[in-house]
Amino acid sequence: MRRPIAALVVAASLAAVVSLAPGSPAASACAAAGLHHAALVVEHGDGSVVTRCVAFDASQITGEQLLNGSGIVWSGQMFGGFDEAVCAIDGEPARYSSCPGKDSYWAVFVVRSGGAWQLSNAGISTLTLSDGDAEGFRYVPSSGNPVPPPLPGGVCAAGATAGATAGAAATAVAVVPARGTAAPSDAATTKSPASVASVAPADSGIAAVAGAVASATSTASSMTASNPERPARQPGQAPGLDLGLLAAAVAGGGLAGLALLRVFVPRRGAR
Amino acid sequence: MTPASGRPQLDPTAPPGQRGLAPRAWLVWSLAAVTVALVSDNPIYRGLVALVALNVLLKWLPPGRNVRPLAVTVVLAAAFAALIDVLASHTGADVLLRLPADWPLVGGAMTAESLAFGGALGLGLVAALLAVAPLSLVLEPHDVVDAMPSPLERTGIAVATSLNLVSGFGRTFTAVRDAQRMRGWRPRGIRSWNEVLVPVVLTAIEDSVLLAEAMEARGFGAGRRTSYAGAAIDRWDWVVVAGALSAAALFVGARLIGTPLDWYPYPTLALPPVHALLVAGCLALVLPALPRPAFAGPKNQAGPS
Repeated sequence: MRRPIAALVVAASLAAVVSLAPGSPAASACAAAGLHHAALVVEHGDGSVVTRCVAFDASQITGEQLLNGSGIVWSGQMFGGFDEAVCAIDGEPARYSSCPGKDSYWAVFVVRSGGAWQLSNAGISTLTLSDGDAEGFRYVPSSGNPVPPPLPGGVCAAGATAGATAGAAATAVAVVPARGTAAPSDAATTKSPASVASVAPADSGIAAVAGAVASATSTASSMTASNPERPARQPGQAPGLDLGLLAAAVAGGGLAGLALLRVFVPRRGAR
Repeated sequence: MTPASGRPQLDPTAPPGQRGLAPRAWLVWSLAAVTVALVSDNPIYRGLVALVALNVLLKWLPPGRNVRPLAVTVVLAAAFAALIDVLASHTGADVLLRLPADWPLVGGAMTAESLAFGGALGLGLVAALLAVAPLSLVLEPHDVVDAMPSPLERTGIAVATSLNLVSGFGRTFTAVRDAQRMRGWRPRGIRSWNEVLVPVVLTAIEDSVLLAEAMEARGFGAGRRTSYAGAAIDRWDWVVVAGALSAAALFVGARLIGTPLDWYPYPTLALPPVHALLVAGCLALVLPALPRPAFAGPKNQAGPS
Protein backbone atom coordinates (compact mmCIF):
# COMPACT_ATOMS: atom_id res chain seq x y z
CA MET A 1 0.00 0.00 0.00
CA ARG A 2 2.78 2.39 0.94
CA ARG A 3 5.00 1.61 -2.02
CA PRO A 4 2.53 2.71 -4.73
CA ILE A 5 1.86 5.91 -2.78
CA ALA A 6 5.57 6.56 -2.37
CA ALA A 7 6.19 5.83 -6.05
CA LEU A 8 3.36 8.17 -6.97
CA VAL A 9 4.79 10.94 -4.80
CA VAL A 10 8.28 10.47 -6.24
CA ALA A 11 6.94 10.46 -9.79
CA ALA A 12 4.88 13.58 -9.13
CA SER A 13 7.90 15.32 -7.63
CA LEU A 14 10.07 14.41 -10.60
CA ALA A 15 7.41 15.63 -13.02
CA ALA A 16 7.09 18.86 -11.07
CA VAL A 17 10.84 19.45 -11.07
CA VAL A 18 11.06 18.74 -14.79
CA SER A 19 8.26 21.21 -15.45
CA LEU A 20 10.30 23.89 -13.67
CA ALA A 21 13.15 23.62 -16.16
CA PRO A 22 13.77 26.87 -18.01
CA GLY A 23 13.41 25.12 -21.34
CA SER A 24 10.34 23.08 -20.49
CA PRO A 25 6.93 23.85 -21.96
CA ALA A 26 5.65 24.96 -18.57
CA ALA A 27 8.38 27.51 -18.23
CA SER A 28 8.78 28.63 -21.77
CA ALA A 29 6.74 28.66 -24.86
CA CYS A 30 9.90 28.49 -26.97
CA ALA A 31 10.68 24.84 -26.60
CA ALA A 32 11.04 23.88 -30.25
CA ALA A 33 14.51 22.87 -31.35
CA GLY A 34 16.19 24.97 -33.99
CA LEU A 35 18.58 27.79 -34.59
CA HIS A 36 17.79 30.81 -32.46
CA HIS A 37 19.39 34.19 -32.04
CA ALA A 38 19.82 36.62 -29.20
CA ALA A 39 21.41 40.04 -29.29
CA LEU A 40 24.05 41.46 -27.01
CA VAL A 41 24.50 45.21 -26.51
CA VAL A 42 27.39 46.58 -24.48
CA GLU A 43 27.65 50.30 -23.84
CA HIS A 44 30.86 51.58 -22.32
CA GLY A 45 31.20 54.47 -19.97
CA ASP A 46 32.42 56.70 -22.80
CA GLY A 47 29.26 56.00 -24.81
CA SER A 48 30.75 53.60 -27.33
CA VAL A 49 28.51 50.63 -28.07
CA VAL A 50 29.46 47.08 -29.05
CA THR A 51 26.77 44.77 -30.37
CA ARG A 52 26.78 41.08 -31.22
CA CYS A 53 24.28 38.53 -32.41
CA VAL A 54 24.73 35.04 -31.01
CA ALA A 55 23.12 31.96 -32.52
CA PHE A 56 22.21 28.94 -30.44
CA ASP A 57 20.41 25.64 -30.95
CA ALA A 58 18.84 25.15 -27.53
CA SER A 59 15.55 26.81 -26.73
CA GLN A 60 17.21 29.05 -24.19
CA ILE A 61 20.67 30.06 -23.11
CA THR A 62 21.88 31.87 -20.06
CA GLY A 63 23.19 35.40 -20.11
CA GLU A 64 26.64 34.06 -19.32
CA GLN A 65 26.55 31.70 -22.29
CA LEU A 66 25.48 34.56 -24.53
CA LEU A 67 28.35 36.68 -23.28
CA ASN A 68 30.79 33.82 -23.75
CA GLY A 69 29.43 33.11 -27.20
CA SER A 70 29.84 36.72 -28.26
CA GLY A 71 33.59 36.49 -27.98
CA ILE A 72 33.79 39.71 -26.02
CA VAL A 73 36.40 39.58 -23.28
CA TRP A 74 34.87 39.83 -19.83
CA SER A 75 35.62 38.91 -16.28
CA GLY A 76 33.44 38.18 -13.29
CA GLN A 77 33.43 36.72 -9.88
CA MET A 78 30.99 34.87 -7.68
CA PHE A 79 28.81 37.25 -5.72
CA GLY A 80 26.89 35.29 -3.12
CA GLY A 81 23.42 34.24 -4.16
CA PHE A 82 23.63 36.45 -7.21
CA ASP A 83 25.88 33.87 -8.89
CA GLU A 84 28.46 35.46 -11.12
CA ALA A 85 28.71 39.24 -11.11
CA VAL A 86 30.19 40.96 -14.15
CA CYS A 87 33.26 42.93 -13.13
CA ALA A 88 34.72 44.04 -16.45
CA ILE A 89 33.67 43.83 -20.07
CA ASP A 90 35.75 44.58 -23.10
CA GLY A 91 38.54 46.05 -21.02
CA GLU A 92 36.43 48.37 -18.91
CA PRO A 93 37.49 48.90 -16.18
CA ALA A 94 41.08 48.08 -17.03
CA ARG A 95 41.77 47.31 -13.37
CA TYR A 96 39.57 46.98 -10.37
CA SER A 97 39.96 46.18 -6.71
CA SER A 98 36.33 45.58 -5.82
CA CYS A 99 33.52 44.01 -7.77
CA PRO A 100 30.98 45.46 -8.32
CA GLY A 101 32.95 48.72 -8.39
CA LYS A 102 32.29 51.37 -5.80
CA ASP A 103 31.95 54.20 -8.31
CA SER A 104 30.65 52.42 -11.40
CA TYR A 105 29.44 48.94 -12.26
CA TRP A 106 28.07 46.96 -15.17
CA ALA A 107 24.28 47.09 -15.02
CA VAL A 108 22.55 44.14 -16.69
CA PHE A 109 19.43 44.62 -18.79
CA VAL A 110 17.25 42.29 -20.78
CA VAL A 111 14.82 42.70 -23.65
CA ARG A 112 12.04 40.17 -24.12
CA SER A 113 10.70 39.67 -27.63
CA GLY A 114 11.39 43.14 -28.93
CA GLY A 115 10.14 45.03 -25.88
CA ALA A 116 11.92 47.67 -23.86
CA TRP A 117 14.98 47.17 -21.72
CA GLN A 118 14.21 45.83 -18.29
CA LEU A 119 16.76 45.88 -15.52
CA SER A 120 17.69 42.31 -14.73
CA ASN A 121 17.32 41.19 -11.15
CA ALA A 122 18.98 37.87 -11.90
CA GLY A 123 22.67 37.22 -12.35
CA ILE A 124 23.94 36.45 -15.83
CA SER A 125 24.40 32.78 -15.00
CA THR A 126 20.72 32.39 -14.09
CA LEU A 127 19.29 34.91 -16.55
CA THR A 128 17.79 32.95 -19.43
CA LEU A 129 17.30 34.24 -22.96
CA SER A 130 15.13 32.89 -25.75
CA ASP A 131 15.03 33.50 -29.48
CA GLY A 132 14.61 37.22 -30.16
CA ASP A 133 15.64 38.32 -26.68
CA ALA A 134 18.58 40.58 -25.96
CA GLU A 135 21.00 41.07 -23.15
CA GLY A 136 22.42 44.50 -22.46
CA PHE A 137 25.24 45.86 -20.36
CA ARG A 138 25.95 49.45 -19.54
CA TYR A 139 28.73 50.81 -17.40
CA VAL A 140 26.85 53.11 -15.04
CA PRO A 141 27.59 55.11 -11.90
CA SER A 142 26.80 53.42 -8.59
CA SER A 143 24.40 56.16 -7.56
CA GLY A 144 21.08 56.80 -9.23
CA ASN A 145 18.96 54.68 -11.51
CA PRO A 146 20.95 52.94 -14.24
CA VAL A 147 20.13 54.06 -17.76
CA PRO A 148 19.86 51.19 -20.23
CA PRO A 149 21.98 50.87 -23.36
CA PRO A 150 20.60 51.49 -26.87
CA LEU A 151 17.85 49.15 -28.00
CA PRO A 152 19.07 46.09 -29.89
CA GLY A 153 16.91 46.73 -32.94
CA GLY A 154 18.55 45.33 -36.07
CA VAL A 155 21.44 43.65 -34.30
CA CYS A 156 20.21 40.19 -35.29
CA ALA A 157 18.30 41.24 -38.40
CA ALA A 158 21.05 40.34 -40.86
CA GLY A 159 22.36 37.27 -39.10
CA ALA A 160 19.14 35.65 -38.04
CA THR A 161 19.08 33.53 -41.17
CA ALA A 162 22.76 32.79 -41.26
CA GLY A 163 23.31 29.18 -40.30
CA ALA A 164 26.53 29.72 -38.49
CA THR A 165 28.69 26.77 -37.60
CA ALA A 166 30.59 26.03 -34.48
CA GLY A 167 33.81 27.09 -36.10
CA ALA A 168 32.50 30.59 -36.53
CA ALA A 169 33.17 31.29 -32.89
CA ALA A 170 36.77 32.04 -33.67
CA THR A 171 35.64 34.32 -36.50
CA ALA A 172 33.55 36.30 -34.15
CA VAL A 173 36.41 36.69 -31.78
CA ALA A 174 38.52 38.11 -34.55
CA VAL A 175 36.12 40.99 -35.14
CA VAL A 176 35.87 42.05 -31.54
CA PRO A 177 37.26 45.55 -31.16
CA ALA A 178 40.31 45.16 -29.01
CA ARG A 179 39.99 47.25 -25.89
CA GLY A 180 42.44 45.44 -23.68
CA THR A 181 41.87 42.80 -21.11
CA ALA A 182 40.67 43.64 -17.67
CA ALA A 183 43.20 43.05 -14.95
CA PRO A 184 41.43 42.13 -11.76
CA SER A 185 43.51 42.40 -8.64
CA ASP A 186 41.58 39.70 -6.86
CA ALA A 187 40.35 36.22 -7.63
CA ALA A 188 38.06 37.06 -10.49
CA THR A 189 37.57 34.92 -13.56
CA THR A 190 38.64 36.39 -16.86
CA LYS A 191 36.85 35.02 -19.90
CA SER A 192 39.24 35.17 -22.80
CA PRO A 193 38.25 34.74 -26.45
CA ALA A 194 40.35 31.59 -26.65
CA SER A 195 38.49 29.95 -23.82
CA VAL A 196 35.22 31.02 -25.34
CA ALA A 197 36.14 29.46 -28.65
CA SER A 198 36.88 26.17 -27.02
CA VAL A 199 33.89 26.16 -24.72
CA ALA A 200 31.14 27.63 -26.80
CA PRO A 201 30.40 24.74 -29.19
CA ALA A 202 29.82 22.31 -26.35
CA ASP A 203 28.17 24.77 -24.01
CA SER A 204 24.48 23.92 -23.75
CA GLY A 205 23.43 24.27 -27.28
CA ILE A 206 25.30 27.31 -28.40
CA ALA A 207 25.85 26.38 -32.01
CA ALA A 208 28.02 29.23 -33.02
CA VAL A 209 28.65 32.89 -32.98
CA ALA A 210 27.53 34.54 -36.16
CA GLY A 211 30.75 36.26 -36.98
CA ALA A 212 29.54 37.96 -40.08
CA VAL A 213 26.54 39.28 -38.27
CA ALA A 214 26.17 42.75 -36.93
CA SER A 215 29.22 43.89 -35.10
CA ALA A 216 28.94 47.57 -34.76
CA THR A 217 30.33 50.33 -32.65
CA SER A 218 28.27 53.45 -32.38
CA THR A 219 27.42 56.16 -29.90
CA ALA A 220 24.55 55.92 -27.50
CA SER A 221 23.45 59.45 -28.26
CA SER A 222 22.36 58.47 -31.72
CA MET A 223 20.01 55.81 -30.44
CA THR A 224 16.97 55.88 -28.21
CA ALA A 225 16.25 53.72 -25.23
CA SER A 226 13.60 53.59 -22.58
CA ASN A 227 14.47 53.75 -18.94
CA PRO A 228 12.09 51.78 -16.78
CA GLU A 229 12.72 52.96 -13.26
CA ARG A 230 10.69 50.19 -11.65
CA PRO A 231 10.50 47.01 -13.65
CA ALA A 232 7.14 45.51 -12.92
CA ARG A 233 8.26 41.97 -13.60
CA GLN A 234 11.31 39.87 -13.29
CA PRO A 235 12.89 38.66 -16.52
CA GLY A 236 11.44 35.38 -17.62
CA GLN A 237 7.99 36.02 -16.25
CA ALA A 238 5.00 36.10 -18.50
CA PRO A 239 3.21 39.41 -18.91
CA GLY A 240 -0.17 39.92 -17.32
CA LEU A 241 -1.31 38.30 -14.12
CA ASP A 242 1.57 36.69 -12.27
CA LEU A 243 0.20 33.34 -11.18
CA GLY A 244 3.11 32.71 -8.82
CA LEU A 245 2.66 35.97 -6.95
CA LEU A 246 -1.09 35.46 -6.82
CA ALA A 247 -0.66 31.96 -5.40
CA ALA A 248 1.89 33.22 -2.88
CA ALA A 249 -0.43 36.04 -1.78
CA VAL A 250 -3.37 33.69 -1.31
CA ALA A 251 -1.26 31.10 0.50
CA GLY A 252 0.43 33.70 2.70
CA GLY A 253 -2.88 35.33 3.58
CA GLY A 254 -4.45 31.99 4.43
CA LEU A 255 -1.53 30.89 6.58
CA ALA A 256 -1.39 34.22 8.40
CA GLY A 257 -5.12 34.09 9.05
CA LEU A 258 -4.87 30.52 10.33
CA ALA A 259 -2.04 31.50 12.66
CA LEU A 260 -4.06 34.42 14.02
CA LEU A 261 -7.02 32.12 14.58
CA ARG A 262 -4.83 29.67 16.47
CA VAL A 263 -3.51 32.47 18.67
CA PHE A 264 -6.74 34.29 19.45
CA VAL A 265 -9.56 31.75 19.32
CA PRO A 266 -8.43 29.70 22.36
CA ARG A 267 -8.11 32.91 24.37
CA ARG A 268 -11.71 33.81 23.65
CA GLY A 269 -12.79 30.34 24.61
CA ALA A 270 -10.94 30.58 27.90
CA ARG A 271 -12.98 33.54 29.07
CA MET B 1 -5.30 12.36 27.57
CA THR B 2 -2.21 14.47 27.62
CA PRO B 3 0.97 13.36 29.34
CA ALA B 4 2.37 15.37 32.20
CA SER B 5 4.89 16.98 29.89
CA GLY B 6 2.04 18.31 27.78
CA ARG B 7 3.35 16.32 24.83
CA PRO B 8 0.50 14.68 22.93
CA GLN B 9 2.55 12.54 20.51
CA LEU B 10 2.45 9.14 22.09
CA ASP B 11 -1.11 8.99 23.25
CA PRO B 12 -3.01 6.36 21.23
CA THR B 13 -6.29 7.04 23.01
CA ALA B 14 -6.45 10.69 22.05
CA PRO B 15 -9.06 11.80 19.48
CA PRO B 16 -7.81 11.65 15.87
CA GLY B 17 -7.20 15.37 15.63
CA GLN B 18 -4.94 15.41 18.67
CA ARG B 19 -2.63 12.50 17.88
CA GLY B 20 0.83 13.67 17.13
CA LEU B 21 3.51 12.74 14.68
CA ALA B 22 6.24 10.19 15.14
CA PRO B 23 9.59 11.73 16.12
CA ARG B 24 11.18 10.60 12.86
CA ALA B 25 8.42 12.31 10.91
CA TRP B 26 9.13 15.49 12.87
CA LEU B 27 12.83 15.17 12.14
CA VAL B 28 12.26 14.73 8.40
CA TRP B 29 9.77 17.59 8.33
CA SER B 30 12.16 19.96 10.11
CA LEU B 31 15.08 19.08 7.85
CA ALA B 32 12.93 19.53 4.75
CA ALA B 33 11.58 22.88 5.94
CA VAL B 34 15.10 24.13 6.69
CA THR B 35 16.22 22.97 3.26
CA VAL B 36 13.40 24.86 1.54
CA ALA B 37 14.10 27.97 3.61
CA LEU B 38 17.81 28.04 2.88
CA VAL B 39 18.10 26.69 -0.66
CA SER B 40 16.70 29.96 -2.00
CA ASP B 41 17.07 33.53 -0.77
CA ASN B 42 13.70 34.48 -2.17
CA PRO B 43 11.75 36.23 0.63
CA ILE B 44 8.40 34.98 -0.68
CA TYR B 45 9.33 31.32 -0.25
CA ARG B 46 11.06 32.02 3.04
CA GLY B 47 8.05 33.91 4.32
CA LEU B 48 5.75 31.06 3.36
CA VAL B 49 7.97 28.53 5.14
CA ALA B 50 8.02 30.75 8.23
CA LEU B 51 4.21 31.01 8.22
CA VAL B 52 3.85 27.27 7.69
CA ALA B 53 6.27 26.51 10.53
CA LEU B 54 4.47 29.01 12.77
CA ASN B 55 1.15 27.28 12.14
CA VAL B 56 2.65 23.87 12.83
CA LEU B 57 4.24 25.12 16.02
CA LEU B 58 1.04 26.77 17.21
CA LYS B 59 -0.89 23.55 16.63
CA TRP B 60 1.51 21.29 18.52
CA LEU B 61 2.98 23.61 21.14
CA PRO B 62 2.31 21.97 24.53
CA PRO B 63 0.45 24.20 26.97
CA GLY B 64 2.65 26.01 29.42
CA ARG B 65 5.78 25.69 27.28
CA ASN B 66 7.94 28.81 27.46
CA VAL B 67 8.26 30.23 23.95
CA ARG B 68 9.74 33.55 25.00
CA PRO B 69 13.36 32.55 24.28
CA LEU B 70 12.35 31.45 20.78
CA ALA B 71 10.39 34.65 20.14
CA VAL B 72 13.28 36.82 21.37
CA THR B 73 15.80 34.88 19.29
CA VAL B 74 13.66 35.12 16.16
CA VAL B 75 13.06 38.86 16.51
CA LEU B 76 16.70 39.62 17.35
CA ALA B 77 18.04 37.49 14.50
CA ALA B 78 15.79 39.15 11.94
CA ALA B 79 16.47 42.66 13.23
CA PHE B 80 20.22 42.08 13.46
CA ALA B 81 20.46 40.74 9.92
CA ALA B 82 18.49 43.65 8.49
CA LEU B 83 20.43 46.21 10.52
CA ILE B 84 23.85 44.86 9.60
CA ASP B 85 23.00 44.79 5.92
CA VAL B 86 21.52 48.26 5.78
CA LEU B 87 24.51 49.69 7.66
CA ALA B 88 27.26 47.86 5.81
CA SER B 89 25.90 47.75 2.27
CA HIS B 90 25.70 51.06 0.48
CA THR B 91 24.51 49.87 -2.90
CA GLY B 92 21.11 50.68 -4.30
CA ALA B 93 19.24 53.43 -6.07
CA ASP B 94 16.76 54.47 -3.39
CA VAL B 95 18.67 56.27 -0.66
CA LEU B 96 16.84 56.44 2.68
CA LEU B 97 19.55 58.10 4.73
CA ARG B 98 23.11 59.17 4.20
CA LEU B 99 25.70 58.89 6.97
CA PRO B 100 29.00 60.82 6.82
CA ALA B 101 31.31 59.05 4.40
CA ASP B 102 34.28 59.21 6.79
CA TRP B 103 32.54 56.95 9.32
CA PRO B 104 34.21 53.56 9.09
CA LEU B 105 32.10 50.77 7.58
CA VAL B 106 28.71 52.42 8.13
CA GLY B 107 29.51 55.69 6.39
CA GLY B 108 27.63 56.24 3.13
CA ALA B 109 24.15 55.76 1.78
CA MET B 110 21.62 53.55 3.53
CA THR B 111 19.32 52.30 0.83
CA ALA B 112 15.91 50.68 0.61
CA GLU B 113 17.49 47.89 -1.44
CA SER B 114 19.96 46.95 1.28
CA LEU B 115 17.17 47.09 3.86
CA ALA B 116 15.10 44.73 1.73
CA PHE B 117 18.03 42.37 1.20
CA GLY B 118 18.77 42.35 4.93
CA GLY B 119 15.10 41.70 5.61
CA ALA B 120 15.19 38.72 3.27
CA LEU B 121 18.25 37.38 5.11
CA GLY B 122 16.48 37.83 8.42
CA LEU B 123 13.40 36.11 7.08
CA GLY B 124 15.56 33.12 6.19
CA LEU B 125 16.83 32.94 9.75
CA VAL B 126 13.29 33.23 11.10
CA ALA B 127 12.05 30.46 8.83
CA ALA B 128 14.95 28.17 9.75
CA LEU B 129 14.53 28.79 13.48
CA LEU B 130 10.80 28.16 13.38
CA ALA B 131 11.36 25.02 11.32
CA VAL B 132 13.62 23.42 13.92
CA ALA B 133 11.67 24.75 16.91
CA PRO B 134 9.38 21.68 17.14
CA LEU B 135 12.42 19.51 17.81
CA SER B 136 12.96 21.32 21.09
CA LEU B 137 9.50 22.63 21.96
CA VAL B 138 7.27 19.76 20.87
CA LEU B 139 9.51 16.73 21.22
CA GLU B 140 11.33 15.55 24.30
CA PRO B 141 15.12 15.14 24.04
CA HIS B 142 14.90 11.34 24.10
CA ASP B 143 12.42 11.48 21.19
CA VAL B 144 14.99 13.35 19.12
CA VAL B 145 17.65 10.81 20.02
CA ASP B 146 15.28 7.98 19.10
CA ALA B 147 14.49 9.63 15.80
CA MET B 148 18.10 9.54 14.69
CA PRO B 149 19.34 6.74 12.44
CA SER B 150 20.98 3.90 14.36
CA PRO B 151 24.58 4.81 13.41
CA LEU B 152 24.05 8.29 14.86
CA GLU B 153 22.30 7.16 18.03
CA ARG B 154 25.33 7.18 20.33
CA THR B 155 26.60 10.41 18.83
CA GLY B 156 23.18 11.92 19.38
CA ILE B 157 23.14 10.89 23.00
CA ALA B 158 26.60 12.34 23.53
CA VAL B 159 25.63 15.62 21.85
CA ALA B 160 22.35 15.82 23.76
CA THR B 161 24.04 15.28 27.10
CA SER B 162 26.74 17.80 26.19
CA LEU B 163 24.08 20.38 25.37
CA ASN B 164 22.39 19.65 28.67
CA LEU B 165 25.67 20.47 30.39
CA VAL B 166 25.64 23.92 28.75
CA SER B 167 22.41 24.88 30.46
CA GLY B 168 23.69 23.25 33.66
CA PHE B 169 26.79 25.40 33.40
CA GLY B 170 24.59 28.50 33.27
CA ARG B 171 22.59 27.42 36.28
CA THR B 172 25.75 26.67 38.24
CA PHE B 173 27.21 30.05 37.32
CA THR B 174 24.11 31.85 38.61
CA ALA B 175 24.04 29.81 41.80
CA VAL B 176 27.75 30.30 42.58
CA ARG B 177 27.62 34.01 41.80
CA ASP B 178 24.60 34.50 44.09
CA ALA B 179 26.27 32.50 46.84
CA GLN B 180 29.46 34.54 46.59
CA ARG B 181 27.47 37.77 46.66
CA MET B 182 25.79 36.66 49.86
CA ARG B 183 29.28 36.19 51.28
CA GLY B 184 30.11 39.79 50.40
CA TRP B 185 31.78 39.27 47.04
CA ARG B 186 31.45 42.11 44.52
CA PRO B 187 32.83 42.18 40.98
CA ARG B 188 35.96 44.35 40.93
CA GLY B 189 37.89 43.79 37.74
CA ILE B 190 38.70 40.61 35.88
CA ARG B 191 40.73 39.02 38.68
CA SER B 192 37.82 39.16 41.09
CA TRP B 193 35.84 36.79 38.84
CA ASN B 194 38.24 33.98 39.79
CA GLU B 195 36.22 33.55 42.92
CA VAL B 196 33.18 32.69 40.81
CA LEU B 197 34.68 30.96 37.79
CA VAL B 198 36.88 28.48 39.65
CA PRO B 199 33.98 26.96 41.64
CA VAL B 200 31.83 26.96 38.50
CA VAL B 201 34.44 25.03 36.49
CA LEU B 202 35.04 22.58 39.34
CA THR B 203 31.31 22.01 39.72
CA ALA B 204 30.92 21.48 35.96
CA ILE B 205 33.70 18.86 35.96
CA GLU B 206 32.10 17.15 38.93
CA ASP B 207 28.69 17.13 37.18
CA SER B 208 30.27 15.66 34.05
CA VAL B 209 31.87 12.84 36.03
CA LEU B 210 28.57 12.13 37.78
CA LEU B 211 26.73 12.11 34.46
CA ALA B 212 29.27 9.75 32.91
CA GLU B 213 28.97 7.37 35.87
CA ALA B 214 25.19 7.49 35.69
CA MET B 215 25.21 6.75 31.96
CA GLU B 216 27.65 3.89 32.40
CA ALA B 217 25.53 2.47 35.22
CA ARG B 218 22.57 2.47 32.81
CA GLY B 219 24.55 0.55 30.24
CA PHE B 220 25.54 3.29 27.81
CA GLY B 221 27.99 1.91 25.30
CA ALA B 222 27.16 -1.70 26.11
CA GLY B 223 25.03 -2.16 23.01
CA ARG B 224 21.94 -0.88 21.29
CA ARG B 225 19.61 1.16 23.42
CA THR B 226 16.83 -0.98 24.81
CA SER B 227 13.21 0.02 24.72
CA TYR B 228 9.82 -1.62 24.95
CA ALA B 229 8.85 -0.47 21.50
CA GLY B 230 10.09 2.09 19.05
CA ALA B 231 7.91 5.00 18.07
CA ALA B 232 5.96 3.58 15.14
CA ILE B 233 5.28 5.52 11.97
CA ASP B 234 1.71 5.30 10.73
CA ARG B 235 0.06 6.30 7.44
CA TRP B 236 -0.35 9.95 8.31
CA ASP B 237 3.31 10.16 9.33
CA TRP B 238 4.23 8.74 5.95
CA VAL B 239 2.02 11.32 4.22
CA VAL B 240 3.71 14.12 6.16
CA VAL B 241 7.15 12.70 5.35
CA ALA B 242 6.23 12.39 1.67
CA GLY B 243 4.97 15.97 1.56
CA ALA B 244 8.08 17.31 3.28
CA LEU B 245 10.45 15.34 1.06
CA SER B 246 8.53 16.44 -2.04
CA ALA B 247 8.87 20.08 -1.04
CA ALA B 248 12.60 19.73 -0.42
CA ALA B 249 13.09 17.76 -3.64
CA LEU B 250 11.17 20.37 -5.60
CA PHE B 251 13.38 23.21 -4.41
CA VAL B 252 16.66 21.30 -4.67
CA GLY B 253 15.66 20.07 -8.13
CA ALA B 254 14.71 23.58 -9.21
CA ARG B 255 18.08 24.80 -7.98
CA LEU B 256 19.92 22.05 -9.84
CA ILE B 257 18.19 22.64 -13.18
CA GLY B 258 18.67 26.39 -13.01
CA THR B 259 15.17 27.66 -12.33
CA PRO B 260 15.42 31.25 -11.05
CA LEU B 261 14.95 30.91 -7.30
CA ASP B 262 16.88 33.80 -5.90
CA TRP B 263 16.01 37.41 -5.51
CA TYR B 264 18.46 40.20 -5.73
CA PRO B 265 17.13 43.70 -5.04
CA TYR B 266 20.14 45.63 -6.31
CA PRO B 267 20.43 48.11 -7.87
CA THR B 268 16.69 48.86 -7.84
CA LEU B 269 13.98 47.16 -5.85
CA ALA B 270 11.64 44.81 -7.70
CA LEU B 271 9.22 42.03 -6.82
CA PRO B 272 10.83 38.61 -6.41
CA PRO B 273 10.19 36.00 -9.08
CA VAL B 274 7.67 33.44 -7.83
CA HIS B 275 6.72 30.11 -9.40
CA ALA B 276 3.29 28.75 -8.51
CA LEU B 277 4.64 25.20 -8.31
CA LEU B 278 7.22 26.20 -5.74
CA VAL B 279 4.50 27.93 -3.72
CA ALA B 280 2.67 24.62 -3.77
CA GLY B 281 5.89 23.00 -2.59
CA CYS B 282 5.96 25.33 0.40
CA LEU B 283 2.35 24.46 1.15
CA ALA B 284 3.19 20.75 1.14
CA LEU B 285 4.96 21.44 4.42
CA VAL B 286 1.73 22.50 6.12
CA LEU B 287 0.45 18.93 6.49
CA PRO B 288 1.42 18.59 10.20
CA ALA B 289 -0.79 21.60 10.96
CA LEU B 290 -3.83 19.93 9.43
CA PRO B 291 -6.15 17.63 11.38
CA ARG B 292 -5.29 13.95 11.08
CA PRO B 293 -7.72 12.57 8.48
CA ALA B 294 -9.89 9.56 9.15
CA PHE B 295 -8.05 7.35 6.65
CA ALA B 296 -4.90 7.62 8.74
CA GLY B 297 -6.50 5.35 11.31
CA PRO B 298 -5.54 5.09 14.98
CA LYS B 299 -2.05 5.97 15.95
CA ASN B 300 0.09 2.88 16.54
CA GLN B 301 1.00 2.10 20.09
CA ALA B 302 4.37 3.40 21.10
CA GLY B 303 5.75 2.55 24.45
CA PRO B 304 8.14 4.42 26.66
CA SER B 305 11.75 4.31 25.60
